[in-house]
Amino acid sequence: MSVITTAGLTKRYGTRRGIEDVSLHVSEGSLFGFLGPNGAGKSTTIRILLGFMQASEGRATVLGHDCWRESDVLKREVGYVPGDVRLYSWMTGRIALRISGRMRGRDLTRHGSELAERFGLDLSVRADRMSRGMRQKLGLLLALAHEPKLAVLDEPTSGLDPLMQDELADILREFAARGHTVFFSSHTLSEVEQLCDRVAIVRDGRIVEDESIANLRARARRTAILHFESAQAAASTAAPPQLVELERTGRLWRAQLETDDARAFARWVAEQPIEDFSVSPPNLEGVFRAYYRSVDEAGVGEDGGSA
Amino acid sequence: MRGLIEKILREMLVPTLLFALGLYTVMAILTFVLPQLQGGIGSILEQLPFVRTFIGALLGTEIGDDISAQMFQAFLFVHPVVLLTTWGHAITFCTRVPAGEIDRGTVDVLLAWPLSRGKIYAVETVMCLASGLFVLATGWLGHLTTVGGMPDDMRPSGIGVIWVYLNFFALYISVAGLAFLASSISNRRGRAVGAVVAFIVASFLLNFIAPFWEPARSVDFLALLTYYRPAEVLSNVELPIADIAVLLGVALTAWSVGGLVLMRRSIATA
Repeated sequence: MSVITTAGLTKRYGTRRGIEDVSLHVSEGSLFGFLGPNGAGKSTTIRILLGFMQASEGRATVLGHDCWRESDVLKREVGYVPGDVRLYSWMTGRIALRISGRMRGRDLTRHGSELAERFGLDLSVRADRMSRGMRQKLGLLLALAHEPKLAVLDEPTSGLDPLMQDELADILREFAARGHTVFFSSHTLSEVEQLCDRVAIVRDGRIVEDESIANLRARARRTAILHFESAQAAASTAAPPQLVELERTGRLWRAQLETDDARAFARWVAEQPIEDFSVSPPNLEGVFRAYYRSVDEAGVGEDGGSA
Repeated sequence: MRGLIEKILREMLVPTLLFALGLYTVMAILTFVLPQLQGGIGSILEQLPFVRTFIGALLGTEIGDDISAQMFQAFLFVHPVVLLTTWGHAITFCTRVPAGEIDRGTVDVLLAWPLSRGKIYAVETVMCLASGLFVLATGWLGHLTTVGGMPDDMRPSGIGVIWVYLNFFALYISVAGLAFLASSISNRRGRAVGAVVAFIVASFLLNFIAPFWEPARSVDFLALLTYYRPAEVLSNVELPIADIAVLLGVALTAWSVGGLVLMRRSIATA
C-alpha cells in the first residue's frame, strides 16, 4: 500500500521555482529518505503533503486522503517535525503532551514519557528556556508520541548531538519495524544512507532519482588511493581503463574504481611501482555528488522560498 | 477542541485579565471623577469656545451652550483610554492567528495538529467574542462600582447604558474583525497590527475633523466611530439599531473575508 502518492506535483511562487513535477510513491512500513541540498524543494513538498500549502499543479494523497482538502483527517495519523522547530514559549513537554493528546483524542502521557526518557528530555522545562536541541527533541516527541502511521521528519537531526542522532535512528527503525512509515528529509547523505531503505533525490525542485539504497549502493564506486614509490613513477604511470583519475599529487593518486572486478585491479596494482594502496568500501557519496555536480557547476543558488 | 481552547487560554488569559482590570479601573475612576469635572467645564467653554467643537466631535454629537449632565456621562464611553484598552485587546487577540503564528514560526505546530482551518477559525472567533464581552463587562462593573456616588441627575439611565454597551460591543467586534482580516492576509504580526491601527487612527481623525472640515464630512461615513455615538444614545435612551447594524455588517464582512483567506491561503513560515 502506498502511504504517500504524488503525481506531477508543482508549486510556483510567482515567477520563482518551488517544485516541479514531483512524483513519489512511499510504501507502507518503509524508511524513505528525501535527500537534497538546502533550497532544493524538500520543505515545499512536505508542506504540500501536510496541507499547509496548495500545489499549483498535480495531486498528492497521504494515507489515501487528499492533502489539501482533507488535511485535518490525514493529520490524525501523521506526525510532523518541521525543519526549524519553534514552540510556544509557555509550552513545557508535559503541557505539550496534554494539549496534543486532547487535540488527538488520546492520552499521550505514557508513550511520550518513554520517548522523553530515551531522548533525555526534561518535560518540565518551558520552551523559551530550551536549547535548540531540546526544542528539537520536544518536536520529535510531539511527532511520534501518538504512534502515527506516518512520520514526516524535515531535517530531524539538526541540533541533536551524535549520540541523540543514533538514538533517533534506533527509535525510527523500531517505529518502522512496527509497520509505520518514515518520510525522512535531509541534506546529509550519510544519515539517509544509514537509516533509509529507499531514497528520492531532489535537485532544483525536481526528483532526479528515486531508488532503493541497495540499488544505489550497487551503483556506487570505490575510491582507490595509491602511493607510488616516487613522484616520477606516479607521473609516468598511465591509468588503466577501470580507474578514473580524480587527483594526482606528487607520489599520490586518488582514483575512482569503475569496475566491480577487484581481481583485475589487484593484478594491475601488483605490476606497478606502488608502495601502498587502499580501497574504500562502496559509498553513495560519489553518486550523490554526481547528481549535484551539474547544479554546482551551473552555480545555481538556494531557493529561500522552498528551503 | 479542548486542546485548542486550552492553547488560546494559555496565550490570552493573562492579557485579557490585564485588559479587563485596566478597563475596570479606568471606568471606575472616570465614573467617580466626572461629576467633579462637570462644574469646571462651563467656565472652560466660556473661555475657550472652540473646545465645545472638540468635545462635540469626541462625543459624536453637536452640543449646545451647555453640556448636560447626562451628555457628560458619555465621556465614560469615548474616553481615549477606554477606547484604546478595548481596541488593544481586540487587536492583541485577533492578530495572533495566523500572522503572529507565522511570524514566530509556531504555525507549524498548530497546523500539524489534526484541526481543520475552519475549526481553528471558529474557535478563535468564539473565544475572541467571549473574551471581548468579558473585558467590556468588567468595564461596566467598574462603572457600577462607583456610580452610586454620583448625583442622581448625573446618573445615566440603566437601559441607556445597556444600549451604549451594545453599540460599544458592536464597535469592538468590528475592530476585532478588521484586525483578524489584516492578520489573515499577512505573514507578519507587526504589519497586521500596523495596518489596523492605521485604519483606526484614520477613522478617528476623520470622525474628529468632519465637524470642522466640509470635505471630510462627505466621507465621514467611512469612519467606524461615526456609528458609535454614546452621547445621543444616552440622551435619547434609544437602541441605535442602524449604527449597530453598520458595525455588525463591517464585522461580519471582515470576519468572513478573513476566514475565507485563512482557509484558502498557503501557509509557510517565513
